[in-house]
Amino acid sequence: MIARARRELLIPGIVVGAIIAIALAVPLLPLPDPTGMDVAARLSPPSALHPLGQDEYGRDVLSRILWGARTSLFVASLAAAAAAVAGTLLGLLGGYFRGLVELITLRFAEIILCFPPLLLALLVVTLMGPGAATLIVALALLYAPGFARVCFAETLAVRELDFVTAQEALGARANRILGRTILPNVAPTLLVQFSLTLAAALVLESGLSFLGLGVVPPAPSWGLMIRGARSTMEQAPWLLLWPCLALSGAVIALNVLCDRLRDAFDPHAGHVGTGWLWKRVPAQPAATAQGTEKPSLMRVDGLSIEYGAVRLVRDVSLRIAPGETLAVVGESGSGKTLTALALLGLLPSSLRLAAGTLLFTDRNGQVRDLARLDEAELRKLRGGEIAMVFQDPAASLNPVHRVGNQIAEAIRAHGALGRSAATKRAIALLRDVGLPDAQRRARAFPHELSGGQRQRALIAAAIANEPRLLIADEPTTALDVTIQAQILALFAALKTRRERLGILFVTHNLAVVAEIADRVCVMYAGEIVEEGPARELLYQPRHPYTAALIASVPEGGARRLAAIPGVVPLPSALPSGCAFAPRCRYAGLQCTAAAPPLEIIAAGRASRCIKWREIS
Amino acid sequence: MLGYVVRRICVAAGLVLIVATLVFLAIHLVPGDPAELLLSQGGVAPDPATVAELREKLGLDAPLLDQYVNYLAALLHGNLGSSLIDDHSVAAEIALRLPRTLELIAAAAVLAILLGLPAGTLAALHAGSLADRLASAAAGIALSIPVFVVGTVAILLFAQKLRWVPAGGYVPFERDALGHLLVLAMPAGTIALGLAAVIFRMTRTSVLEVAARDYVRAARARGIAPGRIVLNHILRNALLPVVTVLALHLGSLLGGTVLVEYVFNWPGLSGYLVRAVELRDYPEVTGIVLVISILFVLLNLAVDLTYAVLDPRVRHV
Repeated sequence: MIARARRELLIPGIVVGAIIAIALAVPLLPLPDPTGMDVAARLSPPSALHPLGQDEYGRDVLSRILWGARTSLFVASLAAAAAAVAGTLLGLLGGYFRGLVELITLRFAEIILCFPPLLLALLVVTLMGPGAATLIVALALLYAPGFARVCFAETLAVRELDFVTAQEALGARANRILGRTILPNVAPTLLVQFSLTLAAALVLESGLSFLGLGVVPPAPSWGLMIRGARSTMEQAPWLLLWPCLALSGAVIALNVLCDRLRDAFDPHAGHVGTGWLWKRVPAQPAATAQGTEKPSLMRVDGLSIEYGAVRLVRDVSLRIAPGETLAVVGESGSGKTLTALALLGLLPSSLRLAAGTLLFTDRNGQVRDLARLDEAELRKLRGGEIAMVFQDPAASLNPVHRVGNQIAEAIRAHGALGRSAATKRAIALLRDVGLPDAQRRARAFPHELSGGQRQRALIAAAIANEPRLLIADEPTTALDVTIQAQILALFAALKTRRERLGILFVTHNLAVVAEIADRVCVMYAGEIVEEGPARELLYQPRHPYTAALIASVPEGGARRLAAIPGVVPLPSALPSGCAFAPRCRYAGLQCTAAAPPLEIIAAGRASRCIKWREIS
Repeated sequence: MLGYVVRRICVAAGLVLIVATLVFLAIHLVPGDPAELLLSQGGVAPDPATVAELREKLGLDAPLLDQYVNYLAALLHGNLGSSLIDDHSVAAEIALRLPRTLELIAAAAVLAILLGLPAGTLAALHAGSLADRLASAAAGIALSIPVFVVGTVAILLFAQKLRWVPAGGYVPFERDALGHLLVLAMPAGTIALGLAAVIFRMTRTSVLEVAARDYVRAARARGIAPGRIVLNHILRNALLPVVTVLALHLGSLLGGTVLVEYVFNWPGLSGYLVRAVELRDYPEVTGIVLVISILFVLLNLAVDLTYAVLDPRVRHV
């Protein structure tokens, strides 16, 4: 990634470097005098002696272009440098000392930003008269606030970092901290800002010269050359072309350099694809051996999910019967959320369904493999027969639409209901999920509701079309403890009210499992490690990971909590043999020899531990 | 909502006062005698009698505070002073020319939005495709080429070689509507090119960002149709930052049309400004700068208020 960014920097870097080198070397080159006139040869087309032709006074155009680069770059870089020094100083001081200093430096900068830039430059020109010195002052004044702002923001961010606080605690003086610690940290941003400013100053300088208010003739400048060539463009269009090309080329090179610099310094700026909008043909995952039995509601066999060559979820199989609640339990990174997303075809586009069948029996009794449906068919099931509730209710509601309208939208996406009928139904649903004053809440925007109310609204949207399978991905995690209990109670009420509704409940919280689940799957590092009826599994775990999870749940009687040592291994660096072995207190030599299979240990129970008999 | 509106209006009013004060102070901030400064040409000391005359004309002899109070009082009456050269009322000249500049900007903005918004949205929805990369590269180039280069080359191409449109000038709408639109086409198109590139980039980034949000995934999970997701969920949110950027650019265009008006000989505010700067007609320059800056502030106010309508969260801030 970084190597690529470096390579991409190379070409624009070389071009900009070459332009600067030429501008510096111009006096040494064997060029004709850029101001030497030869009126007899005015407007001569390109010739061997004058490769780019001669202008309206017979001056050599090539020489004027190259000398013009020197003038333009000189003015632009001096102005940019002056702006950088002044702006950086203001920004650093304002960001470090805050208070009154911030008020004076930053507000001043912001007031300057109130004026349209070209106007401010013209005001300065009026006061000081045209010329290169005026230009530098005007441009520096114009661009300093930009530096001040950027530098201020960066300084604020850096000064809060621990190493700055540490230096202050050690008694380092402010100028030392600013110069040695903060400045190097804000330097990359300032470098980008500098090249941006250089490009902008180049454009503005030539613009003002073009108006006749910048560089004073006969000094060569690209803007002046374009101005001069305008009057003769009918006879000698090439005179217009050369300076236009030179100016545009230089600015393009600088801007490309800027973009690349920014990419190089900000590696996070990757894109997230929107491919799903147009994806019509689903990627075909490898088929897995299917039983002949028809799923009563949902049956997942051999589900594997890959990121590049890394398997994030491996060979997961699940069954959900109508009216049953299956809890999928595990720490973050265990693959439980990915499994849930895969059922609805909502995996991020960087991930791939590598293998598996996702059989679902729909309302008409037809068995469909969700892994092989295309986007349009999946869409009909989503929010219709299969609905999902997400973890973060604040982020899952669109902030600019009223809650009731978002529910009504979901209703209308799956039925022929009119707008007002759908709205009425949305209000009824909000009442169903226990929102008081549903009529008024339906007209509220998401930010006007509390976290618990938002999650209730999202549940209302999920059950709006009488789904047969409800997938809930950590629906209580982002909520306060008391609200969690209420939302759980709502799920329990849903179970009793809709007795055919199957629920896939993803959670990391075993206390929640005990309350709501009929059966449980425990996942660890992308695979199922234990499975069984909720009561049995919680009281008699048959996998050390399950046992450790249970021991880590705070209970009234427990004297101390047993934390699980270590962390979940990265999917790209799984240990050989049992994935849990490095953290397991039962682990022996044979555990790391081979990956243990998921063994059926009793009717409806399975464990991926070769020592399951020892755990009790 | 009402409190928010009142607060924003107060802030805007404060800004207008600051801007007016700065414009007033500008001439006093430069070291040296203002009148002498305005009259000096290439370091040659001006004639003392002329300097005295100018001092009196600008009222520079009165104490600074008196000058300031008089200046503000005149402003409140819409009096921006009169030209040093021909004594014409600055306010009247601005009133005549401002609508033409605003028309130019409005036409350019409409063109740029029609081009940049759909293109940016499509590019984001097909991010990474060949069309997206070509469009992004084209936008990068369009952003880099200075407007006066675009304008000058456009004249060479469309007016001189192809002879499709006149090279510039102005035809009043009421005299010849079609002719008016023809002379408007090139300057508006020239401004629109760069502006469309800005809108394109902003829209593309913003759409990509919003498309990755949780509520878009949640809408998909509810089975909402893709077209509706794009319009109702993605664009509705993605356009908020685009509106801001667009408004800021329109604001800087208020001064930035100078070059385009000059290239195409469009008799707007800017041509007037350039002449005033050339002749160093100080009251004219400050008058124009002041009017444009105030428009700039008002535009920002309009954006803030639009934001409050588009994004319900803002009303409570």
